[in-house]
Amino acid sequence: MRVCESSSNIKDYGFPELQPGQVIDDAIDFMIGMDVNTKLDLPFVASPNGMSISVSLVPCGDNLTVLISDVSDTTEQRRKLQQAANENELLVERQKKLMAELERASRKLEQKNRQLEEASRLQTSFLSGVSHEFRTPLTSIIGYTNLVLNNLQKTGDEQKGLADCNNDYLSAVQRSSKHLMSLVENLLDHGKLDSDEIVLKPKPNSLKQLIDDVELVLRPLSETKGIEFNVIPPYNETATVMVDDSRLRQCLINLIGNAIKFTDQGSVTVDFNYANDTLQVSILDTGIGISEEDMNKIRLPFYQASGTGKIGTGLGLTITERIINMMGGALDIFSELGEGTLVKFNVHASDLGSLDLDSATRELIKTKSLDILLAEDDPFIADLMILMLKDWNIDVTHVVNGALAVEAVQSHNFDLIIMDIHMPVMSGYEAVLELNRIGSTIPVIVMSASAVEADQKRAAELGCSAYLTKPVDVQEIIETADILLSQ
Amino acid sequence: MIKKKVCMVGEFSVGKTSLTQKFVNNVFSETYLTTIGVKIDTVQIEDTKLVIWDIAGRDSLSPINASYLVGAAGVVLVADGTRLQTVESISEIWSTVREKIGEVPCVVALNKADLEDWCVDNTTIESLRDRGWDVFETSAKDGVMVESLFHKIVEKTKE
Repeated sequence: MRVCESSSNIKDYGFPELQPGQVIDDAIDFMIGMDVNTKLDLPFVASPNGMSISVSLVPCGDNLTVLISDVSDTTEQRRKLQQAANENELLVERQKKLMAELERASRKLEQKNRQLEEASRLQTSFLSGVSHEFRTPLTSIIGYTNLVLNNLQKTGDEQKGLADCNNDYLSAVQRSSKHLMSLVENLLDHGKLDSDEIVLKPKPNSLKQLIDDVELVLRPLSETKGIEFNVIPPYNETATVMVDDSRLRQCLINLIGNAIKFTDQGSVTVDFNYANDTLQVSILDTGIGISEEDMNKIRLPFYQASGTGKIGTGLGLTITERIINMMGGALDIFSELGEGTLVKFNVHASDLGSLDLDSATRELIKTKSLDILLAEDDPFIADLMILMLKDWNIDVTHVVNGALAVEAVQSHNFDLIIMDIHMPVMSGYEAVLELNRIGSTIPVIVMSASAVEADQKRAAELGCSAYLTKPVDVQEIIETADILLSQ
Repeated sequence: MIKKKVCMVGEFSVGKTSLTQKFVNNVFSETYLTTIGVKIDTVQIEDTKLVIWDIAGRDSLSPINASYLVGAAGVVLVADGTRLQTVESISEIWSTVREKIGEVPCVVALNKADLEDWCVDNTTIESLRDRGWDVFETSAKDGVMVESLFHKIVEKTKE
């Protein structure tokens, strides 16, 4: 399309002056793509010099007339209105988006609330379950203790005849106490695993010793139930392995204990294999087995299989599996209801070859004729310890608080101090601080009911030599004392 | 020299002017200024004089003025990747284009890719590609994919 003629004021809009015969779309951009037949109105076109123009294309015979007019005023008014309207619409859109986000957040919060409510419900149900679990052995302990006390009040011949009775009653008390203790330990372990407080402490152990220990603990249980108990040690049982024996023992006792608990006739066979730094254990029982439904849930905390008639916290397996995982192993359970159960697990335990543990085994005789200071405010525990230590020819000086312990140290040279933490007048920790201040170098064994890692850390920070958790076994004290005094 | 008219179309405030200005003048402004009618810019790409018609966006009250589309060799459909409804309205806008000037070459710009509240998922992008459109996730602010977008539409108008 070429220009026939043009008005001179076209320059006022910023367009170049047009010459007749010039190709129109070389000069005017908005004409690109148009032809002579195009009839079109183009309102609000920004001209090259920024003016707002209205363009009309009107075909006229073989020609096309292009009409341009200035619409700047109208455009400005329209721009203001349109700007306000668009900004308003954007705000509405933004508001809708925020509302949707708010709704999403609110739904999430509701879901979280429901989860919290469910957790709270589970916790309440757990607490009520646990209260019941605690009440059972406590009732037994209190009842049998009353019976023993009643018997003790009886006199002469009558009392002699009651000795057997007392033995039975005390055995019941002991059983219940042990059960109560395992409940407490399980709860504590579960809490510690949840807060990642359990730290493995591997040390050299005789594999044979470990297996023998577990067998020794569990065989009476199987004998009581009248079931066959087979332990197959590994061919290389003399190996010394690096493992946290206390945690491994806990896992073995729990899993084998479960097998015995749920087997009323037949046998429990424990097969140990050790190769490539890995200890593999399989526990096969001919017990009641596990249903498919229970199999999916038994690893959940607090879950207890229905209809077994057995008591527990429902935590043992959860804790065991997590400890096995911590030891770099895995736990598998295969079972069918009524057909028995096969439990297999493995843990990492580095082979230390035939390390002579005898050199590490302390000669307990060394501890004989020791002079020990015992700071313990509970008279029953103190009496018990004095009695137990007396068997080892250990002289015990007993004080009932930290202040008296410090006083005693200043007037007598003890070989060792056994210190309770929670005592009146001056706590065990305060006493240790005071002993440090006066320059005492006597080793201190802290004895506390708290198995919390933080307390053990505090004791270590204060320079205490060892930390034992109540109830303390006399053997444990002797071994610890022996290690400390031979250093 | 070949001359090609290409129209920028889409909902209001999706960044049609920003993309054009970034490509033509390498400028970007955070301030939103609505376009009234049409602004025409030109730029040379190799042997082609590209005339970009930056057309006022569609809003709830005013549709796109189809007169501006006449003579276009191609269109750039622009949407805001942080406002899903502007992506959804691409189809409707394309219908308007097709009705007025037929099946012209087309590319899609999902703009504002620099913003965090981006809400276009891969499925949506794939569904746009399934229609035979080249889809570009652009940012007029950072200049991401802007050159590619305009080069692609020029290339397509020459096919």
